[in-house]
Amino acid sequence: MSRTFFIYIEEKSPLLKLHPLLKIISLLAINLLAWIIDSLTALLCAIIAVFLSFKFFKIPLARIGRFIVFAVLIVQAVMLSYLLGSTIPGNIVYYRFPWGTYISDMTLIYAFTMTAKFLLMLWGSTLLLAVMRDIDIVYGLVSMRLPYYLAFTVNLAFRLSTVFMEDYAKVRDAMILRGTNFSEKSLVQRARNYVRLGTPLMVLAIRRMFEMTNALIIKGFEPGRSRTYLYDFSLTIKDKVILLLLVAAVVLAFLLKTFYGLLTFPGWPFNG
Amino acid sequence: MEINVKNIVITGVTAGLCLPLALFAIILVPIPGLPAASGFWIPAGFYFVMTLWFGIWGALGGHIATTLAMGYFFGYTLQVWADGGLGDFIAPLVCFMIFKIAKADPELKTRRDYAVWVVAVLISSLVCGLWVHTVNLFFGVITWPFWWVGVLTYFIGDSLAVLIVGTPLLKTLTGYVKTSPMYAWSE
Repeated sequence: MSRTFFIYIEEKSPLLKLHPLLKIISLLAINLLAWIIDSLTALLCAIIAVFLSFKFFKIPLARIGRFIVFAVLIVQAVMLSYLLGSTIPGNIVYYRFPWGTYISDMTLIYAFTMTAKFLLMLWGSTLLLAVMRDIDIVYGLVSMRLPYYLAFTVNLAFRLSTVFMEDYAKVRDAMILRGTNFSEKSLVQRARNYVRLGTPLMVLAIRRMFEMTNALIIKGFEPGRSRTYLYDFSLTIKDKVILLLLVAAVVLAFLLKTFYGLLTFPGWPFNG
Repeated sequence: MEINVKNIVITGVTAGLCLPLALFAIILVPIPGLPAASGFWIPAGFYFVMTLWFGIWGALGGHIATTLAMGYFFGYTLQVWADGGLGDFIAPLVCFMIFKIAKADPELKTRRDYAVWVVAVLISSLVCGLWVHTVNLFFGVITWPFWWVGVLTYFIGDSLAVLIVGTPLLKTLTGYVKTSPMYAWSE
């Protein structure tokens, strides 16, 4: 098993072995495709493909179960926004609200389309972030010709987010041991206890900031200077083909939508 | 402007601290009808304070954290970067500017400092709320009837989070941070 930022993944997962640049481009491509495609059927097919990819790339499917809460958040937000606040013309109007908006058959399809878009982004990003490691962020962004210090900063954000999650658990446990009750019935008291967590967390963050700055200065880290790298991640022919396919998929989806009217809303079979 | 190690670490640590907090905020206090929005934006309390202490680099950390956290729910797209990401970069900088212009002390020693802090937070949250939801509206993510709901909930959620979380942090930790050469007001 190999440890990524967030979970342990089987060493033989093909996605884990993917070139860092391809991991980042895949993450962007899947989000861009979800953004471009407006056809509900195409989006549902893409979501099924992402689900199958979890199995194929040996990413624990149990991860998805934890994201049901996230999915519910997205679904309620999109549904409420469109059901209560949109005027999308359709063949049948089911309900008219006093404030001028209404629910038509197309409102429902549009709301489902928007939900499918966000779920595709969420689960697609989960799939790729599950296999992301420090070297993927750094080498991936450097391969995109971005400055090293930017790659280092983004990597620091990801790395420290997991460290601070552990800090949070430690501080919370320490406060419980000193008698703090985080399951207070009073919401105000519970909120107050959580706010008190902020100060020790911030102290840890500031200390870490000072220590890290000193360590980097002592190690001779200079943002603007050219660097040598420990690993060599050159693109093989297979990597170049995958890269080409990813870019082609995004460009093709854009062209099909813009010039040929495909992948547009409502799409087959809803447009009759 | 030359970028040095201190700037990078401030940005990275602020982003690392705010990223999980942003995820918690979206999950714990969602707003019905507004995707990836929270009624109590906890990380704002932290990156506002970081910006008052360390200047633009704290705001940049907040910007990275918001872009990564919101993007996770809402897609790593131009729209997410333009609304939440850029909005959360602008807001703490507005607060910082007001503090600089008013020559207030982030340690909140006097009543005047408190007044400047409260006014600065309210103004910057309103500016940011207007920015975020107008961009959302232009991208077709929210509908016009939800625009004012978005601006109002953003204003309330952000202001409350910054005032409740940020005030004790400024009061208790500014003295400690002032001893560091990284402190933005030391020049």
